[in-house]
Amino acid sequence: MSPETAGIAGIGLLILLFLFRMPVAFAMAFAGLAGFAYLSDVESALTLLAQDIFETLSAYPLSVIPMFILMGSFAFASGISRRLYMSSYTWFGQWPGGLTVATVLACSGFAAICGSTAATAATMGKIALPEMKKYGYNDVLATGTVASAGTLGILIPPSTVLIVYGILTEESIGRLFIAGVLPGIILSLFFVATVVLICLRKPELGPSGPPTTWAQKVRAVTGIVETITLFLLTIGGLFLGLFSPTQAGAVGASGALFIGMIRRQLRLKKTVDAAKDGLRTACMVLFIIAGATIFGHFLSISNIPFVLAEWIEGLPIPPMAIMSVIIVIYFIGGFFMDSMALIVVTIPIFFPVVVKLGFDPIWFGVMIVLVGEMGVITPPVGVNVFVIKGIAPEIPLYTIFKGILPFLAALIVLTILLMIFPDIATLLPSLVYH
Amino acid sequence: MKNLDTFKKFNRKVSMGIEWVGLVALVLMMVITTVDVIGAKVFLSPVFGSIDIMMLAQLVAMAFAAASTLLIGRHIQVEFFFPLLPKRAQAFMNGIVHLLGFVLFVLIAWQLFIYGHDLQTWREVSPTVRIPLHPVAYAAAFACIPVCLIYLSLLVESVLKVLKR
Repeated sequence: MSPETAGIAGIGLLILLFLFRMPVAFAMAFAGLAGFAYLSDVESALTLLAQDIFETLSAYPLSVIPMFILMGSFAFASGISRRLYMSSYTWFGQWPGGLTVATVLACSGFAAICGSTAATAATMGKIALPEMKKYGYNDVLATGTVASAGTLGILIPPSTVLIVYGILTEESIGRLFIAGVLPGIILSLFFVATVVLICLRKPELGPSGPPTTWAQKVRAVTGIVETITLFLLTIGGLFLGLFSPTQAGAVGASGALFIGMIRRQLRLKKTVDAAKDGLRTACMVLFIIAGATIFGHFLSISNIPFVLAEWIEGLPIPPMAIMSVIIVIYFIGGFFMDSMALIVVTIPIFFPVVVKLGFDPIWFGVMIVLVGEMGVITPPVGVNVFVIKGIAPEIPLYTIFKGILPFLAALIVLTILLMIFPDIATLLPSLVYH
Repeated sequence: MKNLDTFKKFNRKVSMGIEWVGLVALVLMMVITTVDVIGAKVFLSPVFGSIDIMMLAQLVAMAFAAASTLLIGRHIQVEFFFPLLPKRAQAFMNGIVHLLGFVLFVLIAWQLFIYGHDLQTWREVSPTVRIPLHPVAYAAAFACIPVCLIYLSLLVESVLKVLKR
């Protein structure tokens, strides 16, 4: 068997292991180990296994992941999200559809201190859904809004998926973070426009909440102070070059813990539970990267990425058409796989192609995160939809999936805009890092 | 079945127990980096060897959390195809996957012990504070043993399910 054929067989084995529900991290490690042993020898493959595990799990650049995940866990547990929601609720809740607008804006705010879509959807779902139910909001609109707005967690920095992409492709995490800001803000506005349009057409879907006075509105602004402080401290410090990404994450985690303690939200048990949750999530992510490293070594000696890149480069079609095909592959892949896993598995294959075609790697990172966001809310494995189902078990899955459709349209519109106007993603990094 | 339950309880106890080591390592990572940043920016005196400590603490944190992460089902899996299979086929495929997981982690534990031995023989140390690396490799290998035991219990459970049907 030629190395290329062995490479294809290895990818086939990987897909088979995925289908039979082997954890993504272990499936990649196993397929990579088997493939490497076949193409070189068993002894080298076993040595590579230990080395890759040891070196990946102890790699300093990867320590940014546990730190930002820990920051998100502490922020999640310290009640920051509730104060954020109450703040935007006070400002917008009195308008028709105002609670959904408040939810989108609170999700955007929480996304600025938490890099996970599921955590953003879960935390906001627990707070916003009961409120929307109280004021007679339609289930389709309410659940669709929370599930979709939760996806902002991986686009607005800090984003766990962008960190992993940056590590895998050796791109600057700071640049990737800042590249996500503008698309994140635009997407938030698109989501707000979506709920406003829905409620203008059918006001009965989102009745007005109780009116608030200007004094209440002004007081409510304090609810966003801690989020802004944490964001400025971490992401601001990172952009200004004060911190490395790991330092920014660690300072953010300490800051979120400090806020939780000052607010008396984080008692010992809750703190330990939050830290354990962060530890397990970080463990899952780092093992995926370790598995991807082993699989990546196998792919390298199989020559698949290079042969594919050469072949695609020689195709008589414009690069943008090839990019469109890649984006469609990510879109379809997102239906079946978690966005993080999808990106980790496919980056070693597609990234050389993207670079060879002359696309900006920073732009591509934002693009695939955006497409990955769609996978988080589309069946059959839309994680956020299941998170919302867990919070509101009485609402059928069908209702939630129906609710995400208008937001999916907004995501698709932004994806197309980003393809036509790549500056949306690349403008800020080029200005800041000029 | 009773023996299997006892085995599973033992695995749970061990996995959750050793997770505390990982938790301490994770908190150490956060504290040491924060102190390093404050020390460097405010007092112009960073923590000497903070990067070395971070690297080794991260390895300990992740290795010692591997068993509990597996036990509580935190690892990402592709879920859409498997539920479509008949129950018997599901139990059979579960058995295969658990066997592969068991083999993988036995290999990882074994190879990490060998790697640790090599590091010990070559007297490998961390770059700045020159902490010996081999104890951490041995610790990571040890932390893989509960993962093997969890996979073994899952494998036995799957085999019993297939035989029962």
